[in-house]
Amino acid sequence: MTEGFRERIAAALDNQNLRRALGNFADAYLGARENAYQGKDFEAIRRKIAGIKKGAAENMEELAHRFTRAAEKAGAVVYRASTPEEARDYIKNLAQARGVKSVVKSKSMVTEEIHLNRSLKEAGIEVRETDLGEWIIQLSGQKPSHMVMPAIHMTRGEVAGVFSAETGKELSDEIPVLVKVAREELRQKFLAAGMGISGANIAVAETGTIVMVTNEGNGRLTTTLPPLHVAVVGLDKLVSSIGDVAPILEALPRSATAQHMTSYVTMITGPVPAMDRAGNPVEKEMHIVLLDNGRTKMASDPVFKEALQCIRCASCLNVCPVFQLVGGHVYGHVYTGGIGTILTAFHHGLEKAESIQSLCLGCERCKAFCPAGIDIPALIRELRARITGRKGLPAGSRFLLETVLPSRSLFHGLIKAASAAQKPFVREGGYVRHLPLFLAGLTRGRSLPAIAGRPFRDVAGSLPAPRNPGERIGFFAGCLIDFVYPRIGEAVHKILAGMGCRVVFPPGQTCCGLPASYMGAPGPAARIARQNIAAFGEDCRYILTACPTCATFLKRDYPRLLREDGEWAGRAERFAARVVDFSSFVSREGFRPAGGFAGTRITYHDSCHLKRNLGVFREPRELLAGAGYDLVEMKWPDRCCGFGGSYSMRFPEVSRSILEAKIKDITETGARVVATDCPGCLLQLAGGLDAGGRREIRAAHTAELLCE
Amino acid sequence: MYGLFRERAEAVSARVIRAGGPGEAAGALAGIIEEEKVKKIVAEPSGMVERCVRILEERGVLAEGGQEGGGRPALFFRDLRRQAGDAGLGISEMALAVAETGSLAGDCTSMESRLVSTLPPVHVALVPSSGLVATPGEAIERFYGGGRTPGYLSFISGPSRTADIERVLTIGVHGPERLYIILVDEEGGGGND
Repeated sequence: MTEGFRERIAAALDNQNLRRALGNFADAYLGARENAYQGKDFEAIRRKIAGIKKGAAENMEELAHRFTRAAEKAGAVVYRASTPEEARDYIKNLAQARGVKSVVKSKSMVTEEIHLNRSLKEAGIEVRETDLGEWIIQLSGQKPSHMVMPAIHMTRGEVAGVFSAETGKELSDEIPVLVKVAREELRQKFLAAGMGISGANIAVAETGTIVMVTNEGNGRLTTTLPPLHVAVVGLDKLVSSIGDVAPILEALPRSATAQHMTSYVTMITGPVPAMDRAGNPVEKEMHIVLLDNGRTKMASDPVFKEALQCIRCASCLNVCPVFQLVGGHVYGHVYTGGIGTILTAFHHGLEKAESIQSLCLGCERCKAFCPAGIDIPALIRELRARITGRKGLPAGSRFLLETVLPSRSLFHGLIKAASAAQKPFVREGGYVRHLPLFLAGLTRGRSLPAIAGRPFRDVAGSLPAPRNPGERIGFFAGCLIDFVYPRIGEAVHKILAGMGCRVVFPPGQTCCGLPASYMGAPGPAARIARQNIAAFGEDCRYILTACPTCATFLKRDYPRLLREDGEWAGRAERFAARVVDFSSFVSREGFRPAGGFAGTRITYHDSCHLKRNLGVFREPRELLAGAGYDLVEMKWPDRCCGFGGSYSMRFPEVSRSILEAKIKDITETGARVVATDCPGCLLQLAGGLDAGGRREIRAAHTAELLCE
Repeated sequence: MYGLFRERAEAVSARVIRAGGPGEAAGALAGIIEEEKVKKIVAEPSGMVERCVRILEERGVLAEGGQEGGGRPALFFRDLRRQAGDAGLGISEMALAVAETGSLAGDCTSMESRLVSTLPPVHVALVPSSGLVATPGEAIERFYGGGRTPGYLSFISGPSRTADIERVLTIGVHGPERLYIILVDEEGGGGND
């Protein structure tokens, strides 16, 4: 972890204003966004955008040439900058050559990326940010904490303080007053400025047009009043043709600010007429700085070129449960949140992304919302693997992944030893309330369940089988069911046996391997995959698991891990095709629950992996309702509970805070039971309910609830 | 299409008026000038704007030739870089109205059209109702079709706005605080419904 990273997280978690602002926004955003997309086919739109931007990324060099030719034909000057320094120098020299004393800027992330303001200021040129949020940030000497709403972390009182200092007047903290101050102060700057600097949301190669999407009107003023306009444009903004603009405009305002369209969308091609302050026509100059700074490197990377599809809507920030808690400043650089993690690695250096990549919980929620179809969580995992590949795993992790996880007896032995060691700390009810010394963080705000006395593997053989067994189903337990919740395994077994299935438990199975992959160690993960595939052989009709995290990894990642591993590639494909999660299997096979739970109010928590990776969310609800439970939905049932496997050990404070919000949502339903399909979520939810004194609410796996 | 346009434009705080022809449009304009109590007006010198202004001069609503007189507001077509700064209202013509988003779209390459629609606190846009189109994509096609490339194409949706302080929506930042849209039908013929 880089220095100060944990401190920044702790400070952010302590900042109540930030928590409130981000929390309110997160709640409001989802509903407003959904309204804005009403009547639109989001999937179709994002397929289209992904196609447009993917093509653009693959032809970046050609588009840059075409754009340059077209823009020059329209009368603009185009400068290609490889590095931030080249871009800064070009703009600074231009300003000096034209005798520019003051510059107005409309909002542009790419100028933040190259730290343009600092360089102009050092050259004695006054620079004014004119976007309200950016101006606040500039005056208070901070960095933007959000790509779209740079000052979201500040209160009106803080803004009033900053504006009072700037104007020398004592200002009230009424927002309309503050906005008026910005209008009046900055209007004079617009009228007097010798240069206007803007960014661009899209750059069209066919016509040399730049497209700006704005709300405040400062973009139009910046490009109208000063006789010199400089647009700084990242190469990722290029698209091929004018027809590519509309699809991006369809998504960008809706995803960014839940608007059908922003107040202003401006499409500029070449210099347009201008006047001096006296009203005399002057020759307008338009310069376009095309910035690379890692973008062509990204485009030539077979994996990371996908990140160039980003249209900077920031919805991955808005829906991220971690960002909602800690805000943008913990990311330490210009770009924040999920996509910001990737961009930081390429625009500011891989080492700068080392700490922040570990903030990702892997809940995959951002992926579901990305209007450009970017698999952000997969890119972050790849980033992790590359960082680990470069630095190597810490010795402790290497021992765990390479020695303990593949060896079930060793793993088991260690777990048993831990189980014995925890005895003094287990309180009534089977929860660990306190752990000694360095492990104490694990039980703050969450009680941990005790390790089961007998693991599932020891009871699997003695469970009753149906008299005339039908299909052979292999049961994959996973670590949590095996060692912590054997009772879930027993419930699954009972239900399947009742359906006439012959359930087998191959003892050679081990951990699914996901922790290894998430720690950036694909080698050990592949070894574990081969071990599990071999353990199950080829003669089970299905491989069923009651852990959606295991299911995702077995189904989605095994074929990927073993793609180039000779005969294992085919075996992994066949194995993955047979993997099924508990709820969809029993629902599909027509399981009829006994019923008799009428009146028991229940709420359902969607596990991230089950809902977003396996697309399963209706089935468990139908099964529970079919059993007679009175199902009440909580607010945002698919928001992550904060478990994230080892995440809750790496960032216990973050995990705990996310959990608290979840417990609140559960409690508000008045349900007596919270059901989930994931033993990891179960561990987290049950622990949170216990620690939070909500012991009257029971957390249980769907399988347990169906066979009672 | 008009119904949807009106609904969406009003949803982003624009005020929409439909006029049966230039005479009615001029009447609507006079009402806005009175309601806003403006003393100084700047206008883009374009066909429809000039026509409405002439009608208002004939009716005695505006003082003629940019001279403030008899308590009547003065209107400027020229010297806009200096005049627009303290004008209370700007009038421009926009070619298209986009139903799906409640936006206006127009070629704002002329400096005048941009000055009158950015600097004054009130913007009145005159739009022929034959310019109603369904989507922003269609509007882009109209302007860029046939190999043409406008220098400065503007979409305007409602007045300027911000939510940068505590996410509280505030209307009127750097651009206009109020936007009036007058959709003008062709004389003798209906608009595009």
